[in-house]
Amino acid sequence: MKAPNPNRTWLAIRRDWDLYLMLLVPMCLLALFKYVPMGGLVMAFQDYDIFGGFFESPMVGLKNFQELFSAREFLSVLWNTLCISWYKILFFFPVPILVALMLNEITCSWYKRTVQTIVYMPHFLSWVVVAGLAFDMLSSTGAVNRMLGLVGCKPVNFLMDASKFQPIVVLSAIWKEAGYSAIVYLAAISAIDPALYEAAVMDGAGKLKQMLYITLPGIVPTIVMMLLLRVGTVMDGNVEQIMAMYNPTVYETGDVIGTYIYRMGLGNMRYSFAAAAGLFNSVVSFTLVFFSNLASRKLVHRSLW
Amino acid sequence: MKPAITKKRAIRRSPGERALAVAVYLILGLFSLSTLYPFVNIIAKAFSGYTPNVTGAVVLWPVEFQTGTFMRVLTNPQFFTSFWVSVRVTVLGTGLSLFFSSLAGYVLSRERLKGRSFLTACFVFTMMFSGGMIPNYILVRSLHMLDTLWSLFLPNVINVYNMLIIKTAFEGTPPALEESAKVDGASNLRIFLSIMFPMIAPSVAAVSLFLAVGYWNEYWSAILYITKNGLKPIQLYLLDVVNYASDPLSGTESTFAFQDAPEGIKAATIIVATLPILALYPFVQKYFVKGVMIGSVKE
Repeated sequence: MKAPNPNRTWLAIRRDWDLYLMLLVPMCLLALFKYVPMGGLVMAFQDYDIFGGFFESPMVGLKNFQELFSAREFLSVLWNTLCISWYKILFFFPVPILVALMLNEITCSWYKRTVQTIVYMPHFLSWVVVAGLAFDMLSSTGAVNRMLGLVGCKPVNFLMDASKFQPIVVLSAIWKEAGYSAIVYLAAISAIDPALYEAAVMDGAGKLKQMLYITLPGIVPTIVMMLLLRVGTVMDGNVEQIMAMYNPTVYETGDVIGTYIYRMGLGNMRYSFAAAAGLFNSVVSFTLVFFSNLASRKLVHRSLW
Repeated sequence: MKPAITKKRAIRRSPGERALAVAVYLILGLFSLSTLYPFVNIIAKAFSGYTPNVTGAVVLWPVEFQTGTFMRVLTNPQFFTSFWVSVRVTVLGTGLSLFFSSLAGYVLSRERLKGRSFLTACFVFTMMFSGGMIPNYILVRSLHMLDTLWSLFLPNVINVYNMLIIKTAFEGTPPALEESAKVDGASNLRIFLSIMFPMIAPSVAAVSLFLAVGYWNEYWSAILYITKNGLKPIQLYLLDVVNYASDPLSGTESTFAFQDAPEGIKAATIIVATLPILALYPFVQKYFVKGVMIGSVKE
C-alpha cells in the first residue's frame, strides 16, 4: 500500500471544509463539558480552594487518597455499592430473560401486546416517581403491610429499617426496568431461525423442550453480553435511584459512592476529598467497562464499540 | 412488537404443556397487575378524603370522593413554577441536543471524513470515563451557570448514546442521494438540512422522544446546581413533596394547608408530574424497540 499523499489529504479536507465546520460546535461542547472536567480531576491531588482555583491551590500528592482509604465510611460505602450491584445481578438480571421467554410463549396477540405495554411503561417514569410509588406501597398503611396484616403479621416499618433498604432498592429496580430490559432478549428470540422450531416439532419436541433447547441456547450470546456489560457497571450504584429513596436512618446500608461523593463534596465542601473518591470511581469503572467489553467481544463477538 | 416467528401450533397439547401455558399467562398477568396497582392506588388516593387517606383505607377507588386536593396541587404556585421550568428545560434541551447530535452524527457517518475513527473515539470515550460530579460542579460554577436554567441542560447537551443512534441511521442512507446532490452543487450543510435529515425522520422522532423523556425526568443536575425555588424542576419539587409526605414534620414543604392529607398531596403531585410522560408514551412505544437496538450493540 502506498503511504497517503499529504497533498491529497489536504485537498480532501479543503473540499469538505464545511463538513468539518459542522462538527465544530458539537466538538467544542464535548471538549468543554466532558474533557475539561477530566482535566479538573487534578484537584484530587490538590488541596482545592474554591476561591483560588486550580492554579493557586497547593499540590498535596496522594494525601486525599490516603484519607479516603483510611476513612471507614468510604469502605462501607464501597461495600454497599458492590452489595447492591451484586444483588441486582443475582435477582434483577434473570427477570427480563424470564419475562422474554414467557412473552414468547404467549400466542394470544392482544394479551401479549397488553402485557408489553404495561410492563414497559415504568421505564419512562423518573426515579422520584418510582420512589413516591414505592413509599406509598411500603408505608405503615400501604398495600404490603395490609397484605402482611391479612396473614397475621405485624406491620413492618420498611422505610426506616436499614436492613430492608437494599432489598427495596433491588425490588423497585425490578419493578421499573425488568419489563423494558426484556426487549433486548425478545429481539434476540425473534432472530432465531424458525426452521429450528419446525424441525423440533417434527421430532416431537413440546413447548418446554423447544424453550429449553432452542430459544434459550439461541439467546445465550445476548445473555452473556448483557451480563458482562452489567458487571462493567457495578460501581455505578445508580445514584439517582438511591438519592430519591434513602434517608439518614438507612445510610448504614444505603449510602453508595455517588451519594457519598455528593455529601462530602457539596454538603461538607471537601471538594478535593470528594474528587479523589470520584477519580477512584471513574478509574475502576473504566477498567471494568473496558475489560467486560473486551470479554464480550472475545466470547460472543459482540460489543458496545 | 410483533412476533417475527410464526410457529406452527402443535396439533395436540399434552397436559403438561397446557399447565405451562396457563402458568405463563398467570405469571405475566400478575406481573402486569403489580405494575399497574401502584398507579390505580395513587389515582384513588388523589381523590380521596383526609381521613381515609391517613388511615390507609384507600385501595382501588376513591373513598369520600373530592377534587379539592387535586385542584390545590394544580394551583400551588411552586408547582406551577416548577412545571414551567421543566417545560422549558425539556424543549430547549431536546431541541439543542437533537440538533448537535444530528450534526455530529451526520459528519461522523461520512466515510470520506479524515480522522473519522479518531473523532468518533473522542465521543465514545466520554461514555466510559468522566471527570465525575465534583469537577463538573466546579466547571458549572466557574462558568457562572449555578442557579441558571442553562445548568439544567447545557452540560448534558451532547448525548453520545443518541448521537450514535443518529450516526447509525445516517450510515443506512443510500450514498447515491448525496452524490447526486453534490453534482448539483449543493453544499454539505445544504445536503444535510434538506436531503439527509428528512431521510432519517423515524430515528429523529425516536431520539427526540427519548431525549424529551430524559429531560423531563432529570433531577440530578438540579440537585447539584440549583438552590433557588424559582428554578427547581418538577422532579425536584416532587421529591420535596414525597419527602414531606413520608415525614410531614420535616417542614420541607410548607406551602400546603393542613386540610389535605400528605398522602393525597403526594398522589396528586405524582399524577400531574407523570401525565406529560404518559401522554407521550403511546408515541414513544412505537419507536423504543428501535432505540434499544440501534446504537447499543455492534456485531
